Amino acid sequence: MMNERRKIKGKNEVVLLPPVDIYETDDAFILKCEMPGVEKDNIEILLDNDELTIKGIVKENGEDLGTLTYSEYRLYNYERKFRVGDNINGSAINASLDNGILTITLPKSEKVKPRKIEITFEK
Amino acid sequence: MFTTYDVFDDLLNFRNAVDRFFDELSTYGRKYDMPYVNLYEKGDHIAIKALLAGVKPEDVEIHLVENSLVLEGEKKADYVERPYIRKERHFGKFKKSIRLPYRVDPSKVQATMKNGVLIIKLEKSEEAKPRRIEIK
Repeated sequence: MMNERRKIKGKNEVVLLPPVDIYETDDAFILKCEMPGVEKDNIEILLDNDELTIKGIVKENGEDLGTLTYSEYRLYNYERKFRVGDNINGSAINASLDNGILTITLPKSEKVKPRKIEITFEK
Repeated sequence: MFTTYDVFDDLLNFRNAVDRFFDELSTYGRKYDMPYVNLYEKGDHIAIKALLAGVKPEDVEIHLVENSLVLEGEKKADYVERPYIRKERHFGKFKKSIRLPYRVDPSKVQATMKNGVLIIKLEKSEEAKPRRIEIK
């Protein structure tokens, strides 16, 4: 839950690094990312060669709740980059958002999937 | 060939690092309990926003005790039996008491959860409102 803050160099913009869990299944890598306060439409996932970028824009939706009198957190836009290697099938990436948790499925490309090699014996 | 190295570049980098340290100092020493909350006030209304990513609405309980609001619940782990490459998220039970600026009406509490953010809306109770006393 603890969000680290950091600055993007040059742009002087502060972004939050969302915490992630990544695990591997037989045919994909699954990435679970915590981004509370981001709407589905404001998430951007970009795969550029071997770099995966996840962005989430935090927008205060219209309703005015009043003045902030006590505060423990501040939301900034989220951004995080991962080096994923070239064994990802970029055209089949899938993502879903549930209750502030973004789940991204990165399917492995065919060439790196474990294959069973049949052994034939010659008599 | 000449070099483009300038000793002032290094000095500026050092200054940026110092600036950054002081900018982020306030976040290093945070000792707030999970979940983090913000409190908003508008007239006789209070709104509390709590960050509860990954917590199901049915796993959260909201209680009013005196003039405090107690948030209690559990963020259930979604771990699977697979090899993990990164594990940065935290799970577990939480209980947090938030002191309200005044007593609220227990019958007018509204709570909604959206995108991992819980919003609780409260209204000042009748007895906490200022009353005008007539002089006879």
